[in-house]
Amino acid sequence: MNEPIRKITILPGKDKSGQPEAFEPIDIEIGQSIAIVGNTGAGKSQLLYDIERLAQKDTKSSRLFLVNDKKPSKEIRFNPKRKLIASLSQSMHFLTDISVEDFLKLHLESRGKKQTPEIIDEVINQANQITGEAISRTMNLLNLSGGQSRALMIADVAIISDSPIILIDELENAGIKKEKAVEILIKKNKIILIVTHDPSLALSTNKRLIIKNGGIVDVLDTTKQEHDIAHYLNWIESHNLKIREKIRMGLEIKDVAIDCRKINDGH
Amino acid sequence: MKFIIFAGTPGAGKTSIVKHIAKELKNDYKLFFAKFDCIQTSDNEKIEKELNIPTVKKLAGDICPDHYTALEIPKILKQNQDKDIILLETAGLCLRCSPYVHEGLGINILDITAGDPSRYGPILTQADIVAISKGDLISQAEREIFRAKILKINENAIIVDVNGLTGEGAIDIANLIKESPDLNNKDLTLKHSMPSAICGYCYGNKIINEKKVYQQYTLGKELKSRIPNLNCGKCGFKTCNEFIRGVLDKTAKKEDCPFFKKSAEEE
Repeated sequence: MNEPIRKITILPGKDKSGQPEAFEPIDIEIGQSIAIVGNTGAGKSQLLYDIERLAQKDTKSSRLFLVNDKKPSKEIRFNPKRKLIASLSQSMHFLTDISVEDFLKLHLESRGKKQTPEIIDEVINQANQITGEAISRTMNLLNLSGGQSRALMIADVAIISDSPIILIDELENAGIKKEKAVEILIKKNKIILIVTHDPSLALSTNKRLIIKNGGIVDVLDTTKQEHDIAHYLNWIESHNLKIREKIRMGLEIKDVAIDCRKINDGH
Repeated sequence: MKFIIFAGTPGAGKTSIVKHIAKELKNDYKLFFAKFDCIQTSDNEKIEKELNIPTVKKLAGDICPDHYTALEIPKILKQNQDKDIILLETAGLCLRCSPYVHEGLGINILDITAGDPSRYGPILTQADIVAISKGDLISQAEREIFRAKILKINENAIIVDVNGLTGEGAIDIANLIKESPDLNNKDLTLKHSMPSAICGYCYGNKIINEKKVYQQYTLGKELKSRIPNLNCGKCGFKTCNEFIRGVLDKTAKKEDCPFFKKSAEEE
């Protein structure tokens, strides 16, 4: 049996020009979230690829990964029954014509887990905390809105998937409470990697890895001030989401004034 | 020499993925690429032009493309004794068969958006490697369900996630190809028998009528017993079956076959 992943460590390799990367070993622990930022073509995909296979200087970047401070076993790297990374992206859709409940049961079955009503309720309840439009167990998967689909995918990954690492590729504009989504994943002891330039998301993580020319050129610990900014931006977004729900319900919008005093009341 | 067969339904991304794999191999190995299809294809030309490796196009026309592939394999291998790796891409139509051989490597490119994999036959169940394409378009949960279903019907499969656009997974498959055994001039054996082709329709009958189809079958079988079934091509047809059709349709004469054995009364 493999011991559960508590921490992964990235050791430097080289960038696209063959120059060695200059960063100190980067520790990422469970319950932490990391933003990966950089221009298109900067080398974000290579980093994700390295993480996915826990590269042992055997990829283009020559990076080396440790798991719980040790070299990972071959079993943990290539087990076909267990993927290390579960991913979520804007381009993903549900394609199965099935009810939410049956779908979750099918997923539980495929993971070899018990199909209890409690787990199904938990997934749906958590999803409903992420989206403003309530999901019920009898809804058809194909009829869910973009926000509902995204919320269900996140709750499902947090609770049913075994993958210890969650990769999120751009989550903006999906009509979901992003901060809540990340919070749910963190509570389930996942390592969260987010490729994003969305300020509210990027600034709410623990660290930012800056990618340029195929190399990690900087590692920024998110400052207290940045966390406050993220909190503020998230508050504005949740306010925006509330107005969105009112519009959906057919209400007249009379007032968009933002009461800044409420920001620090845990909105 | 290594012999690799890629099979998968049309549109699964076979050619793009083969291209990425060939790119990983071409600097260290002498490659040859054979593309089979039914009516028309220019995929081999694309690969020849972009990667500068020799290719051939083989069109099955009226014959089952997998039967045709099996008939052509010995010729391709004989003509390419100087190569290190032969990459063969099938037409990939019905889900029943695929001409994988025990002595080589069989790779199924499986489009994850095409639905439940349980309905696939030997094309999936007999594959050594299952390369899942288009995984970036569907939810994590569905990917996990899909994976579990594949392992249920092909428990020894090595599953690799591939992406025809980014080339994801190509390195992994290239490495598996490098590790695969050489043919060493052994006789090749199919992993699964081909579907039977033994009715009048196989000999070109078009009328949906029990009696007519039997008549055509009897005539076809009789002719077949009098030719060597070498598919030598001297009659102008690609295969003996097509020649028989031609004789029955009166577009060819028996005498066009230099080996035709005349019956007692014809003598």
